[in-house]
Amino acid sequence: MTRPIVQVLLQASVTLLLTALATAQQEVTAYTNAHILPGGKPTISNATMVVSGGKILALGGADVKVPDGAKVIDCKGMTITPGLIDASFQSSNNQQDLNEQSEEVTPHLRILDNIDPEDPLFRRARNNGVTAVHIMPGTRNVIGGLGCVIKTYGSDPKSMVIKADASMRIVMGAEPSNGNRAIRGGRVNSMYYRRPTSRMGVIWSVRRAFYDAKEALTKTQGAPGDAPPSPGTQIMMQVLQGKLTAVTTARSEQDLRTALRIAEEFGYETVIDEAQDAYMVADELAKKNAVVMLGAPSAETISGSAAQDGSAPRSGTVAVLASKGIRFVITTGTNPSALPLIREAMFAHRFGLGPQLALDAITIEPAKLLGLDDRIGSLATGKDADFVIWSHNPLDPAAVAVSVHINGMSVSQPR
Amino acid sequence: MNHSLLRIAIVCTTIAIPALGQDLVAIKAKTIHTITGPSIQDGVILLQNGRIKTIAKASDVEIPWSATVIDASDKIVMPTWVLAHSSGGMRGSNESMQNVPWLTVADAIDPASTYFEGMLRNGVGTVHVLPGNNTLLAGSGLVVRPFGRTVEDMTVAANTGMKMSLLARGGSRLQKIREMRRAIAEIREYLANFHREKAEFEKEQAAGAIPEDKKWEKEIDRKKQAAVDLIEKKLKGWLYVPSFAELDEALRMGKDLDLNFVLGANLDEAMPLLTKLKAAVVLDDALEYFETDPETRKEKQYCSAKMLADAGVPFALSLASSGPSSYPWWQFGTCVRNGISRQQALEALTMVPAKMLGLSDQIGSLEVGKLGNIQILTGDPLQATTWVDTVVLEGAVVYERSKDPRLKYLFEAAKKADEPKATSKKDEGK
Amino acid sequence: MQILMKRRTTGALLFTALCTAHLCPTQLSAQDVLVQASKIVVAYGEGSTAATVLTDSALLLRDGKIAFVGADIPAEARRAARVVDYGKATISPGFVLAATTLGRDADLAEGALAFTPDLRAAEAFDPWQKELAQLATAGVTSFGLAPSPRNVAGGIGALAKAGKKQGRIETAEAFVGFSLTRAARSQERMPTSLMGALEMLRDSFKTARVGVQVGPDLAVLRQVMSGQRRALIHADTFAELNGALDLAKNFNFAPVIIGARDADKVMAKLAERGVGVVLAPLNPKARIADLELPKKLAKAGVPFCFAGRPDQLRFSAALAVRYGLDRNVANAALTRTPANLIGALTTVGSLRQGCGADFVVFEGDLLDLGSRHVATWVDGENLHGESPAGAKTSQTTNSAGGR
Repeated sequence: MTRPIVQVLLQASVTLLLTALATAQQEVTAYTNAHILPGGKPTISNATMVVSGGKILALGGADVKVPDGAKVIDCKGMTITPGLIDASFQSSNNQQDLNEQSEEVTPHLRILDNIDPEDPLFRRARNNGVTAVHIMPGTRNVIGGLGCVIKTYGSDPKSMVIKADASMRIVMGAEPSNGNRAIRGGRVNSMYYRRPTSRMGVIWSVRRAFYDAKEALTKTQGAPGDAPPSPGTQIMMQVLQGKLTAVTTARSEQDLRTALRIAEEFGYETVIDEAQDAYMVADELAKKNAVVMLGAPSAETISGSAAQDGSAPRSGTVAVLASKGIRFVITTGTNPSALPLIREAMFAHRFGLGPQLALDAITIEPAKLLGLDDRIGSLATGKDADFVIWSHNPLDPAAVAVSVHINGMSVSQPR
Repeated sequence: MNHSLLRIAIVCTTIAIPALGQDLVAIKAKTIHTITGPSIQDGVILLQNGRIKTIAKASDVEIPWSATVIDASDKIVMPTWVLAHSSGGMRGSNESMQNVPWLTVADAIDPASTYFEGMLRNGVGTVHVLPGNNTLLAGSGLVVRPFGRTVEDMTVAANTGMKMSLLARGGSRLQKIREMRRAIAEIREYLANFHREKAEFEKEQAAGAIPEDKKWEKEIDRKKQAAVDLIEKKLKGWLYVPSFAELDEALRMGKDLDLNFVLGANLDEAMPLLTKLKAAVVLDDALEYFETDPETRKEKQYCSAKMLADAGVPFALSLASSGPSSYPWWQFGTCVRNGISRQQALEALTMVPAKMLGLSDQIGSLEVGKLGNIQILTGDPLQATTWVDTVVLEGAVVYERSKDPRLKYLFEAAKKADEPKATSKKDEGK
Repeated sequence: MQILMKRRTTGALLFTALCTAHLCPTQLSAQDVLVQASKIVVAYGEGSTAATVLTDSALLLRDGKIAFVGADIPAEARRAARVVDYGKATISPGFVLAATTLGRDADLAEGALAFTPDLRAAEAFDPWQKELAQLATAGVTSFGLAPSPRNVAGGIGALAKAGKKQGRIETAEAFVGFSLTRAARSQERMPTSLMGALEMLRDSFKTARVGVQVGPDLAVLRQVMSGQRRALIHADTFAELNGALDLAKNFNFAPVIIGARDADKVMAKLAERGVGVVLAPLNPKARIADLELPKKLAKAGVPFCFAGRPDQLRFSAALAVRYGLDRNVANAALTRTPANLIGALTTVGSLRQGCGADFVVFEGDLLDLGSRHVATWVDGENLHGESPAGAKTSQTTNSAGGR
């Protein structure tokens, strides 16, 4: 006799709960009186932004009306920017986790397999205003594998993913060959004996991989009965066909030139990552229309920041890239002493980059580079409600992210 | 070694300022931040023989025709920064022996070190150089200006105190505390023996056992003199306290000795103790740190400057020799974003350290009669985009951004991609 | 025997049959034993099922198995049997150690290759090894002899037991062991990373699924996908767990996770997909969140047990109870759940008729660390502690007693 009653009660409460959830998602919030830097566009003063269901409903000056029943948050004196995007974010400090080192060419391995949403690095990035990151495999392999773009908050990598196979990383320079040894007889008991030991060897590995992919491409067009190419070669084929973005990590002038040369040789386009010495090859970069991901522009020899892999980072680089019209984004990259992304942009600003360009280089520009500017990277009607409320102008050293929002939800920890 | 210590001590026991600059210098400024008084818009500062003669609104001053005029009428003018504790600019700042109170940094300072060049570039006009943090009783420090060809040229004040440190590298904290206690007890014992022998001598002389005309000839061992001065409170101690764990012992030591504390960042566990600090302290250059709760794994960020401000203790800031915390504006930004006022932040690199060094009548603010240590900034001292344009020390221009070879190298490199990758400072001269 | 011969081509079960016959001492001529105690737990319940408990009852052991329980014991058998009376003590099923290498890691991982799913742990079993002696002392009566976590696909694990003189293999092919933990990622050979390990497994499962003719290694993966063999996967961190669960979902099998340090981060998935967990022993110095993990697993309905050093099992269960775990679940985690997780529920983990005569005798409650461990029996033999002879007069009262 009691059971049906309990059931009815239970059902009622479940329905109530569901309605409550639905309203929470449909809840409309208006952020008013803010100084809004929308990304890619000029500043809007005294602006209002209306957010609902994880998306931006409306954005503008006095013409934007606050809908009836909306929760109003007064942001007087504060600045709102799009959530920052770090186009080269290292998800772990342990290189062993970031590369499958049994082979030097592993194009089909996914860094997405190695992501822990509760990694403190995500939390720190989030608390500093970073809402989306592009993560690539590490730099110990010549071709490391597939990178992904994820938001910095979630309980499961799948729910965080914006783009699962976003890029394939190629690494130039000494890093993939560091510590490797040539086989000189005796027992081969370490995989380090099998890897390239020189810059020449590294480049040779890249070339061979692309050569194999090119061969496979002609074959698939020819005989249909052949065995399918290896998963790695299939990824390389996608790069050659222009279906997948290649990202080449190159720091010194020499490596930058090599990166451009190999891309031309095999006819694919590549984004240049790290690019410390980009100022030396600015004309070539401009001619090739290459996009640059500049790693940690705060690093400069003046303050003793370590120059990596034979490069000579200089403060003037950002201004040189901007003046030559080279598209570039600012990242934290592989430099272990990189500052939070917003501070890297602040240093770029200090070194001569205009305030809007400095902010664009960590918002709309990386979104464009990753092909996601329809969803993230700027504040506009219909886009994801990923944004940051700052205490000051974000390029002020005193600025703190007061609250960070992903899909409209506040995800930052109170300080 | 003892000679040089002696020499500097003789030359510099009082502030001996050889006039660096011309007789008369006038600086026109858009804004003058005096630190101790209100800011002045469209002001003029007159310097005579290296000292400030007049500070006033431009309309109230007539600039003498003979004065050298520095036109900063679109810029910000303020006193140069004062560092109360630094171990930069030395060739080897840590003696590997633990108990070496007789050493002095005068023998280790390298006037050609890029450290001093960097300090000038950041607007620092006074640096208290002390031995590093690795040594128990490490030797005495020297207040210098980051400009000059010899240590003597650079010296502003000597006998400024003895560096002591409770930092345990590789050993245990308790061990280090025990070593410090023992070192101090040994000096006390030595001193007590010395006085007892002297008293016995005098007693025997009075009793006639020793001839009247014989004099007491024994002197304090030179290697022990500095430590004895420390015990007798004739010399200040600058005690490095690496973390909350050593603070209690440091406070205990402070009861018997004249100590200034240099605090490491990790202080949150000693917050109740901080209010017991009576005088100003110096903070390590690292101001913020994370602490992870071992149970919840939640990360919390702490700021040492904020903790001291909350405890009502005045503090001086330090600058690292490289990285972002080598910039004053970065340090101020860190303070302000943790809730410290602009003024308190600015004072932490001006008046507070000047007072700690006993030089508040000379430096730390722009006031009539003080030394003409002035920096000219392109903008607000708390903004990242601000650069130090000119530094004037005691009336003489010692740094100009437009002539800074290293900045030229970093910014104009792109024009000459084929130039050598590194230039040494010595080649460029000053 | 005929059936076994047929399967010889795929799994070489014949060897097991011979091996078992050889190792297991024949007990046909041995006398029946009647074991009496004031409390006999036939089986601990799982989830909402209550434990089956008899008071003032007895078990009749014949040929190393439980022949009859309580009131079912025929009067004839009672009269003929040798009586062992534990008086006021409690008899429970013996502890099952779900997965262990018994300190023989080197023999249970093929160093040259990381992918060896068709290797058989039973072949590396040393029936004379001295570690077996410690099992009975700790109350462990049977264990899953697992391949070492040093290989990504380690091989086929066996169900084994200690014996009076030597150990024996009960079931040679019980489950398949996989590993995604750091131990499996050697810097000396492939794979060196989690990405590589997952790709290796994904690729192999894919080939096993679509391939027409597959080798013995991939045949094992097919058996996992078809549900014939249980997969036990070592995984600790979130990324490892997530990778293991996704793999299992893609290839449609329900694995058992060994380790599962970050289980609370994937709790919903574990519960939803019917995944079991073998936890590492609890450490009293661990974070409270870790000590409460068993409670949380139980609440979410995820079956779990403990593995590790034999003497840590009972302590871990007691500690979990101290941190909020239901006693019933804790008791099951020592006996019935591990047997279930390694697919051996019909042979070990309870004292039902036909199961092995493996039991432990404690003075009081199992989870009360103050209660004395009186004896351990395996296959009807007393391997540890005392076996007090009882008088036959108690028979009548016993038959009156029941559930």
